[in-house]
Order: sequence, then structure tokens, then C-alpha cells
Amino acid sequence: KCPDPKPNKILDLQLNLTARMFKAQAGYNTTRLDRRFVHTQFCPTRTIRPQDYNEIQFTCCDLLPCNNLVLAGTYHGEAKVYNISEGTEEFSSQCHDSFMDSVKCNREGTLALTSCFWRPPLSVLWSIDKKEFVSKLQFAEDFYCEFSNVTQDKILGTKQEAATIYDLHTGQKISTFVPKISNQYTKNKATFCPTDELILSDGVLWDVRAGKEIHKFDKLNQTLSGVFHPNGLEIVSNTEVWDLRTFHLLQTVPVLDQCLIKFSPMNVIYGISLDLDTRVDFDATNSYDSSFKVLDAYDYSSISTIDVKRNIYDISINKYGSHIALVENQGAYESSQETFIRIYAVGMRKNDEQEEEDMDVAETDEN
Amino acid sequence: MAYLYGVTAQKPTAVTACATGNFTSENDLNLIVAKNSQIDLYLVSPEGLRPLKEVNIYGQIAVMKHFRPADSNKDLIFILTARYNAMILEFKMIRDEINIITKAHGNVADQVGKPSESGIIAVIDPKARVIGMSLYVGVFTIIPLDKDTSELKATSLRMDEHSIYDVEFLHGCANPTIIVIHKDTDGRHVKTHEINLRDKEFTKIAWKQDNVETEATMLIPVPTPLGGAIVVGRESIVYHDGIVYTAVAPSIFKQSTINCYARVDSKGLRYLLGNMYGQLFMLLLITEENPKGVLTVKELEVELLGEISTPECITYLDNGVLFIGSRHGDSQLVKLTKIKNENGSYVIPMETFTNLGPILDLCVVDLDRQGQGQIITCSGSYKEGSLRIIRIGIGIQEHACIDLPGIKGMWSLKVGIDDTPFENTLVLAFVGHTRILTLTGEEVEETEIQGFLNDQQTFYCGNVEYDQIIQVTPLTARLVKCSTRQLVSEWKPPGDKRIGVVGCNPSQLVCASACDLYYIEIEDGKLVERNHKALEYEVACLDITPLDENKSKSDLVVVGLWTDISAVIITLPDLETMYTEKLGGEIIPRSILMTTFEGINYLLCALGDGSMFYFNLNKTDGSLTDKKKVTLGTQPTILKTFKSFSTTNVFACSDRPTVIYSSNHKLVFSNVNLKEVNHMCSLNAEAYPDSLALATKNSVILGTIDEIQKLHIRTVPLGEGPRRIAYQESSQTFAVSTFRTDIQDKSGLVPARPSASTQTQNITMSANTLPKPGAGTSGSNSEIGQEVETNNLLIIDQNTFEVLHAHQFMQNEYVVSLMSAKLGDDPQTYYVVSTALVYFDEAEPKIGRIIIFHYLDGKLIQIAETKIDGSCHSLVEFNGKVLAGINSFVRLYEWTSEKELRMECNIQNNITALYLKAKGDFILVGDLMRSITLLQHKQMEGVFVEIARDCDPKWMRAVEILDDDTFLGSENCCNLFVCQKDSAATADEERQLLPEVARFHLGDIVNVFRHGSLVMQNVGERTTPTQGCVLYGTVYGAIGIVTQIPQDFYEFLHSLEERLTHTIKSVGKIEHSFWRSYHSGQKTEPCEGFIDGDLIECFLDLSREKMRETVEGLEMSVNGVKQEATVDDVIKIVEDLTRIH
Repeated sequence: KCPDPKPNKILDLQLNLTARMFKAQAGYNTTRLDRRFVHTQFCPTRTIRPQDYNEIQFTCCDLLPCNNLVLAGTYHGEAKVYNISEGTEEFSSQCHDSFMDSVKCNREGTLALTSCFWRPPLSVLWSIDKKEFVSKLQFAEDFYCEFSNVTQDKILGTKQEAATIYDLHTGQKISTFVPKISNQYTKNKATFCPTDELILSDGVLWDVRAGKEIHKFDKLNQTLSGVFHPNGLEIVSNTEVWDLRTFHLLQTVPVLDQCLIKFSPMNVIYGISLDLDTRVDFDATNSYDSSFKVLDAYDYSSISTIDVKRNIYDISINKYGSHIALVENQGAYESSQETFIRIYAVGMRKNDEQEEEDMDVAETDEN
Repeated sequence: MAYLYGVTAQKPTAVTACATGNFTSENDLNLIVAKNSQIDLYLVSPEGLRPLKEVNIYGQIAVMKHFRPADSNKDLIFILTARYNAMILEFKMIRDEINIITKAHGNVADQVGKPSESGIIAVIDPKARVIGMSLYVGVFTIIPLDKDTSELKATSLRMDEHSIYDVEFLHGCANPTIIVIHKDTDGRHVKTHEINLRDKEFTKIAWKQDNVETEATMLIPVPTPLGGAIVVGRESIVYHDGIVYTAVAPSIFKQSTINCYARVDSKGLRYLLGNMYGQLFMLLLITEENPKGVLTVKELEVELLGEISTPECITYLDNGVLFIGSRHGDSQLVKLTKIKNENGSYVIPMETFTNLGPILDLCVVDLDRQGQGQIITCSGSYKEGSLRIIRIGIGIQEHACIDLPGIKGMWSLKVGIDDTPFENTLVLAFVGHTRILTLTGEEVEETEIQGFLNDQQTFYCGNVEYDQIIQVTPLTARLVKCSTRQLVSEWKPPGDKRIGVVGCNPSQLVCASACDLYYIEIEDGKLVERNHKALEYEVACLDITPLDENKSKSDLVVVGLWTDISAVIITLPDLETMYTEKLGGEIIPRSILMTTFEGINYLLCALGDGSMFYFNLNKTDGSLTDKKKVTLGTQPTILKTFKSFSTTNVFACSDRPTVIYSSNHKLVFSNVNLKEVNHMCSLNAEAYPDSLALATKNSVILGTIDEIQKLHIRTVPLGEGPRRIAYQESSQTFAVSTFRTDIQDKSGLVPARPSASTQTQNITMSANTLPKPGAGTSGSNSEIGQEVETNNLLIIDQNTFEVLHAHQFMQNEYVVSLMSAKLGDDPQTYYVVSTALVYFDEAEPKIGRIIIFHYLDGKLIQIAETKIDGSCHSLVEFNGKVLAGINSFVRLYEWTSEKELRMECNIQNNITALYLKAKGDFILVGDLMRSITLLQHKQMEGVFVEIARDCDPKWMRAVEILDDDTFLGSENCCNLFVCQKDSAATADEERQLLPEVARFHLGDIVNVFRHGSLVMQNVGERTTPTQGCVLYGTVYGAIGIVTQIPQDFYEFLHSLEERLTHTIKSVGKIEHSFWRSYHSGQKTEPCEGFIDGDLIECFLDLSREKMRETVEGLEMSVNGVKQEATVDDVIKIVEDLTRIH
């Protein structure tokens, strides 16, 4: 083995933004370090509280593509749309009879999929028109649904280990995928790959067109089946990163253990740790994680862990990756559970006023 | 909406790749140089490099390689662009023209795939069987080279090695075999893969070597019979042939990594290596025969040859001559010698090729106060750092220079030679005497002409009809026979009056003595006074140049008068006043001239203050119309006509020499790249054909003049990297921030080399924690041999560019931005400098300073200083206050009467406020990631208010305010965009947005925008409806212009642009619309609102036939009415557009 060369301090200086800016001007590529720098800071810009915070608890949220609206699901199955800059409720609708587990809008913001855990229909496709939710399709037993990616004209529903593709316009089943031997992930969520040619459900990779099982990944955890990386090359299954072409294990990322992960268009991964089994119970004794993790989507290296000091129920990223929304719960207080949606600006530094506001929130909660 | 016209004034100059081969024919040795999106082809000749062709590529060239197909005796070029367009190009001589032929092309992008972190790599099998590319993580992409394929189709092979640093093909392998340097958790390793071309897969690993140097970055394949490869690391080099290896760790390798190589001989025993210090090494493979008679490498030897420009690529031409391509400095042609020279170097520079890149900053200064900006750039990195002074103008190519001070007039003559068209004599007038020079070949000798008066100042001299010469002095007009050189006739004004001013042509002479005007005709052997008239006022200047070129007689004499300050048109021979034009003002006309440009007669009249009037002259009634005034200089101007390329031009001699010519019936004023010219005449001598003789203060220059105006670049080398520049008019200086590399020694920091900041007379230092010589330093930097960047502020004289003062900052203290400003009520002008303490273990600086310096009487004095809690990336003078972007804050400081900076207000709505521009109360902020934001400063409340922002994230690199509502930005994916405020929007939400209204892929990163113009403003007619002008400088050394145009003009140009994309076949068959589409990691959108001026200007290079084809059916609007455009209409419009740069 050759001896290592001496370190060069001038090269290290590009870890500092000011030195890096001059490097960039001279033609060096600093994109990656800049991206990492930006994703170490998050500043809360808005807090959206329900009018009656004793009654209404948020459980999930989705930032609408039109940039100024957020759709929130509640403990009692309502969907509420808030204007972010005003913090006011624009309209709402009773979508389910129970705890809403997930909500997802299409790219135009004209359709929404909502899911809950019990009392069918478990999932519903809504059209959002003139400030009204109109039920379009119902998926009685699918407890999780998502849109296809390329053209959002299909819906993939999950019912335990079975995944079903529906036509979005007619509601007809196109195909169903049931593994020969189920992995029995407790929280299986069937998902499309970025090109919609493959789906992953219950730890099994399927060819959509042929309807065939392509590969069954080793089961290394009990709950999460996994998601596709938007680069189309990898599957992130809990802490494991699998190569989609060779099915080799590429690497293990321990910080992603039991994390709900979402990809930002800025090439980073957000992860919030969820104790999914007990999520429904909202018991103050449950230990929810009060921080979210940010990883480099290029190589899964950790960028930062941001502690918001409140339990996090859900995370949503806007279409640019410049803002994120968290459903936060003050939690751990005897009486009521106060939840709110907080919008964070990526890369922004908290200023003194906001630090104070943070304190205010804490104080109000105590009262 | 916004409509913009963008055009490159200076094409990119930074060299990214080069290759030597036989491209134009098997017998031609050619050099090919890639400069971002352009390739230059040269012929290597014994006289040097001869440029053959420039080719634009619709893409940034990521890789350029050459190869020779198996059955060919010519080389081909393979190019891969940053957006994955691949092409194989051939240069072919068709008739006398070099044509570039796209042999094959294709896009090799993968729909999915993770771009490789070490960038795009492409290599070609030595037997030209296959091209291999490392583009994405985990795959190796190949293009099999079949003979007749015109489509380049890529196939991806899976590769287990993920982090690839370099790839090469090995020589002498039955099947194409690659070798890679890759990294895993254990370190870096080299490994080979054999490719089965038929099945398109890797077959086997021939050999590998684990754990090479952890900084190994480069592979050099060695030709047969040796084979194998050389692995280059930061401190060591290893040769490996798969079985045995030989290593060397040369002590002469310092901390800089070898970044390029060139093979010298085909046997592959000698290699040239270059590093970022600009050191050139020779690597020798010493071989021996082993007992089996096989040649093996015994040892490696590395020798330092000498210093070159910081190289990006090196290629060996022939006969010990190398081309050094550089991105950080000028490229070079150097020769290697066998013997060391006195500096211990084997390298002799032969030629340099100017490179402006990277342009880190620039300022536009009208140093000559002429309405024409000069650009002064901060160019180059490290030792290649320099200032470049760029101005547009007509160049004089100097061929000879004679030291002769005090010339008062100059004329060229033909004396005693009949059978040639050439002139052989220069007559030079001085105060009280005249000297005559003859030109014999290139020799210049003083001589005498017997008939001349030598002890008088000559007022005019010239060849006239009947083979005679005329000399006019204050005393007499003398006619000399050319053949005998004897005086044949003499005319004196009556009453021993002295001649004041003279006008003459081959057959007529007009002399003025105070108010008296004498008209004399030149006959064979006689000067005959024909008429005389007393004018009302004294004559200041006159001219009788015939307006009809074919005539030797003028019907008019034009006279400029004292007292009255008028121009008078008088008939000949009657001396009747036809027309009088009062010029107004009190400045006396000094030079008057009649001339014809493009069939239009003009009268030009230059005044004593450097300004000039010009009129259309009606030959029949002598009337003057269309009076216009321009400022050409500050001193009395002398106008002379000369012919160049068979068109008439006027040379205005002054402190800012200017050439006046006409294009499309409009007068064009173009600077000449000389400091001052007092007198001039045209000269057509045998050794100096079609030349000009120009008299400056101390010398006569003989030279030729360029046909067109172009950019002229002057270099002021600094020897250290400049970063920011500011101009201060009051002190006539520039402030430039620079950094140099110092090396930690036992005694403290020692500069690595002499440079601008170490060589000036006046050096001051920022006090507190600076290391004292001999005392050593504390902290992390004390390690011996460690490099440290030392920042300086240089004060540079605006005329001589001499460094007047250098102020050195503390260790780790960077100068981040600077400006010159007048603050508050303070009458002084200050340099405001911001600094930051930069440590590698902090993500962004936490402490910095804003310092106010005053440069007065040769001293740099610190007036005030305020500590800031971060790094101030941008400073702007804002209504007499200091506006600063400090980390995430935008902050305003006012300048108190106690001469202190006091914070007035503050806003934090950015990640990092990197770029600021201001107009009135409005502030444009460019953020690290959050695009641009418009702020307003509310003076009454003393607060900043966010007015609007662009919500679409962009990683900004420069911003500029085009007008109150329109904002230009450059971002890090080589795009330009324009956002516009919609003040009329009814909804608050809309008003708070800055929607993108125009976008354009430039293919280069703009580092700096400045308002300003390269051409004279307000001079001559406005020819194009452009509004405002922003200049930019880029990473690859290009300078360009962005200007706003009206919608109808945009639509016309857009339609022309669209037609041109069909007429002009793109090299590599890349669509123009693809090239100019806005492309970033997150989105690709069509180009909008921008006209590609580079394409538009290509129209002028087309043949008339192609022009007609292009223009057919194109509509233009004339006075609001649409009509079909003719070829000439379009030529005229495009020519006018070319004149904005």
C-alpha cells in the first residue's frame, strides 16, 4: 500500500462558504457542498393552527403545488385546506370517519387521495374544485393509495400484501399483484417506480406490464417494504439501499431505520422516524421522534438532523424543495394534544424574533 | 414581458482540451483546441501556428479526443458535450475551404442514472474499436465504432466499481480493455476490464492492484511493447503492467496534483506532466531486457523541466514544441531545449494565447472620458492572475517606429520614381524646420530635396500634377520638379505677409493669411494666383479636397473662421460665399474637411476642444444640413482622409485617435488602439504597403490598420489571483483585492513567489494578529511547508497600472468585497472593503470587518472599521450609505459625522445574500439558493420591506437590475433568466411574485454583470432600438452583452433566428433549440424572450444565395406596416446589431 499524501489545508477551505464562492467563480464545481450547506438550516416561516385546537388534531399534510396552500388531514377524518400566507382555513370536508393517515395531491392540485385505517372506504380519490371536495372514486379496502408518476392517470392501492392498479378515470382495476410468498411487512405501501414500469409491494419487485414478479428482496425489517429512489436506480428499504439492476445491497444507512422517507427535488432525502404500529393511538406515552433527518440523495450521507422539539407526524416537501411542512404535536402534556402545521424555509436561519416566537408557542402550550 | 438580445463580444478563451493530429490531410499536422463551446483548428507550420478554422458547437465540450480509424491516414475528432451529445467530426478540404463534417452523432444520455461525481470521462480504444465513457455511477457506457455508422448508439455495461476517478484503454490487448481508478471504503484501487464487443459485456478482469495512493487521480496507458499503465497520485507515480510494478515518489512533487499529461514519443517512454503550480515535469521510463528478452520497466525518473502556464491540457506538437492549454491563465506554445538556460529551465515560451478566464470581477470605466467604456477584468487564478484592459477599437499593427519628437505635420511623397505606385519619402514638419526621410526597402534615411526650404516649418507638402511637388511654408509656396528636384516656381503672399493656413489638392492651392484668401492654380512649372478675397474674419482652417474622387479639382473651398466661429462654403475659382454655418460656442474650429462616404457628401469640422460637428453637404448650393456633434477627444483635433481597403476613411488625430467611416449610410466612430496621435498621413511604400504613418508625441509609427473594429486586450500581470476590483475617479486609482500563496517556514510565512503585493514600495499590514517575521505563528497553520492564502488590497494607478500600495490582511482573513463610495455628507471618496475570517471548520464565516480606507497623497489610511457577524459578500453604495449583504442579512450602515459606520436597518430573508444591486430605493438580492428578491428601503421608517421574490429556487451567480421592473440573473447551471415585477397586478399574491419572463441557456457561468457599453455612446446615429446595455464576464473568459429590445423587433429577430437554424447546419446535429433551452438539475424549459445574437450574426457569413433563402418570406415592420424584408434590409439590421459590440 502506498503511503497517504500529506493533507492540503487550502483544499479543505472550500468547506467554508466564502472560500467556496471564490472557488466556484474560478470554475470549480461546488454544487454538492452548497446543497449540503443549505440543508443544514431550516427556519419556521408559518405556523398553521386549527381554529379549535382542542378538537382538531392534524395527522398528515401535503403542500399543494400551487405553492400557497396546504392540505391537512385530521384525527377525525377531515381534510382541511389552509392558505399558508394568511394561516386561514380556506375550506374543508369530512373525508373519512377516522384518523386520516395520508393525503396526497396530484401535480395539478386538482385531485387528492386520502387514506385512513378503518371504516371503509379506507381510501378515496377526491376532486378539488371550487373549494369543494367531490368524491370521485372509493377504494374500500385499500389503506394506502398513490398516483402514478409519469402521467398521473393511474392509482396504486395497497391492501395488506396485495397491490392494485386502478384507472384513475374509470376506477376500474387494471391489475393486481399478490406475492407468491408474502413478506408480511406490517406497513406495506405499494409504490410505483419513477417511470411507472415497476412497482414495489411487500418487498417484491413487479414488472407492471408483464404482471410478473421480478425479484423478492431480502426481508431485513418487519414494517417497511421500501420506496424507489427518484434516480430510478435504487430502492431504499428501511435502512437498506438495493441496486435496482443487480439487486445487490449497495449500502446500509442506519439513520433511516423505521423512517418515513421523502425525496426533495433538491436531491436530498428527508426522514422522519415513526413508530408506525402505535401511531393510531396517539398516546402521550408513545415516543415520537422530535427530529427529522436530512440525507444527501446522491450517496445517502447524513447532512443534518433537525430537532424541532415537538413530535413529528408527517412531512411534506413543496415542488421546488425550497419549503417543507411538518405536522407537529406538542405532545407529552396531560390535557389536550395540540397539533399544528409548521412551514419551514429550507436553508434559512432562524432570526432572533423567531426564536422568541418559538418560546411563545411553548408558553401558550403550557397555559 | 421582457425581450432581450444577448450576444458574445469576446468568445470564451479558457482552454479545456487540446489534441494534435493529422486532421485536414495526412500531411498536415494540426492542433485542435477546445474552448468551452468552441473549437479552433490550427495548422502547425515551421513559422508557428496558423489558424485555419473556428467551429461553434451547440454545447459545452466536456470531452474532446482524437483517433485514427484502422484503415485511415487521417485523424477524426470525437466530442462529447455536457448534455451528452456525442459526435465524430472530420475536417475535409473541399476546394480551398476547410469543411467540418459530422460523420456520426447521437445523444448518449441515460433516462435514469446518477451522474458520476468525477464528471464526464470518455476514452477511445487505441485501435479505434470502441469509445468508452464513464458518465453515470455503476455503469460504463460504450459506443462500438463501426465503420459506416452515422448514428452513435450507446450501450451501458454494469460496473461494480462506483466511484471512478479515471478510465483509460490499455494498449496491446486482443480485446478492448479498460483500466480504472476507483474508490471504496478501503481506499483507491486500479482494476482492468476486458470488453466483449459482440455481446456488449465485460468478460474478465485481466489484472488489478488494490490500495494505490489515496489521492491517485490519473492513468496514463503505455503503448506496446511495454503496455500497462502509469498511475499518477499526488506524491507518487507507479508503473504497473499487470505483473510487476515500479514506483517513485519524487521529492520535487509538492502539494499540487499532476492534472494533465502528454506523451512525447510513440514508444511511450517519455511523458510530460503538468500540475496546478504550472510546473512541467518529464517522466522517463527506464527499461531493461529481462532474461527472456522481454522489455520491462526498470525504474521511473521524474525531472522538473521548468515553468509553464497553469495547465489544463498539454499536447506535444513536433520538434520539442508543446501547446499548453490553460483555464486559469494564458495558453502557451513552448519549446523544450536540450540544455538548461540561465534560470535552470528547459522551457522557452514561444507564443502566448490570451485567456481572460476565469473573469472573477470586472468594472467598466470610461478612462478617457469619451463615452466609451473600457473593461478592466480580474482574470486568472493563482500565479496567472492579471488585470485585463479591454477596449473596442480599430487596431494599428505597428511595423516600424522611429524616435522623433515634436512633429507638427507629416506627408508622404513620391520623389524621383515614376514606374511604381509606391511612395518613398516622408516629409516631417517641426517648429522652424522640415526634415525629409527616404524609405529604401525597410531602411529609413534622412535626405534633402534641393528645391525645398528646410529651415521653415512645412504647412503642406504633396505630389501635384505635371510631376511636381509642392511645399508650402509660412513664407512661400514652392513648386519643385520631381525629376530634377529643382524649384520651378514660387508664390508669395503680397506685402510679405505670412501664410497662415493652407489647403491643397493636385491642381489647386488655397492659402490664407489672416483674413485674406488666395486661390492659386498649379500649372506645369507655374503657380498662378487666380483670385483673392478678403474675408470678414481670420481663417482658422480650410480644405479643398475634391468631392468627386475622379477629379483633381474642387469647385468648393470650405473655411473655418475665427471670432465668428463659423464654417463657410466658398466657390472656386470665384471665391463667392455660398453658405455660412455658425457653429455656436466660443471654441475655434481647428480642422475642416470635405469628404464623401458611400456617395454622400459630408463636411466635418473639428474644434479646439476635441468635439466635432458634421453635416451633409450639398455640392450644388453649398448648403449644410443635418448638423450633428460628437466628442472625439479633449485636445484640438486634426482631420485627415486616408484610404483603407479601397474605402474612404477619416482619421481624427487627437488624444483619442478615432477613425470615422460610414456603414449603411451612417457614420461610425471607432477608437484606435493608440494612446494619442498628433498627425498622420497615409503611406504606400514598397516595404510598407497600404500603411499609415502616425506621429505621436515622441515618435513616428509606420503600421497598417485593421479592417474592422474589434476588442483589444492589454494584460497587466499580477502574479497572484485578483478577486474584486473597484474604480475611484477622485484618486485616479483602482483597488483590487488579491490572494497569493504563502508557505509556512521556520521564520513565518514566506510568499511562494514574487508577485504584485510583494513587489510594491508601500506595504502595510492589518495590525493585531499578524505574524511577525521570525516570531513564528500560533494555531493550526504553523506546520512547516503548509500553504496559506494571504489576502491583499492593492491600489493601482489608473494610467500606468503600477501597484502604488499593498495592504496585507491577517492570516485567514479574506477580502470578500470592495467598492469606492462617497458616504453621507463627507466630501471624501473612500474605498470600502469587507473581509471575513475563513476557517475550514466553519460552514460560513462568523466574524468579519467592514473597513473604510482613504487613499490620499500616496497613502492608504484606515478611517474606520466595524466588526460584523459574518462574511459580507456584497457591498453597494446606497444613497450615500453602505449597503451590505452579510451572511443571511441585508444591512444598511450610515456614515456618521464622527466618521463611523452605524447600522440603520437590517433584514433577514435570505440563506446567504451573495449579490446586491440597487436602484433608487430598490435593492435586488441574489441568494445562494433562493433566486432573487426585491427589497425596498423605506426611508421614513428606516426599514427594509420585501416587495417581491422569485419562488422558483435558483443557485445564483450574479444579478443585475435592467430597469425598475426587470431583473437579470445568472445561475450555476449556465443559464440566464429575467424576472419581472408585475406592479399592475391586482392580487397581493401576484404582486409579491417575480415571475420568470425570459430564459436562455448561455452555456457558461456569468460571474459578474455591469451596466456599460463597449462602443461609444451618444456618438453618431442610434442604429438599433436597443435599450440599456449590460456587460458580463464568465468563468470561461467570455465577455458578452445583454440588452433589451422592443417586442416587434424581438419578433422579427426571432423569426430570423428560427430561419437561420434551418440554413445553418449545426455541427454534430444538435438542435439550436435544445442548446439554448434552460436546463438545470430540476427543470428543462424552452428558451424564451432571448434572441441568440451569436446565431443572428452568423447571417452575415452566409453566401448571398443562402441569405436570400433565409430571408424569403420574412416580414419586417416599417413604420408599423408589415412588409417583406429584402436581403439588404436584413444585412443592414444585422450589421447594425454587430455594432453594439
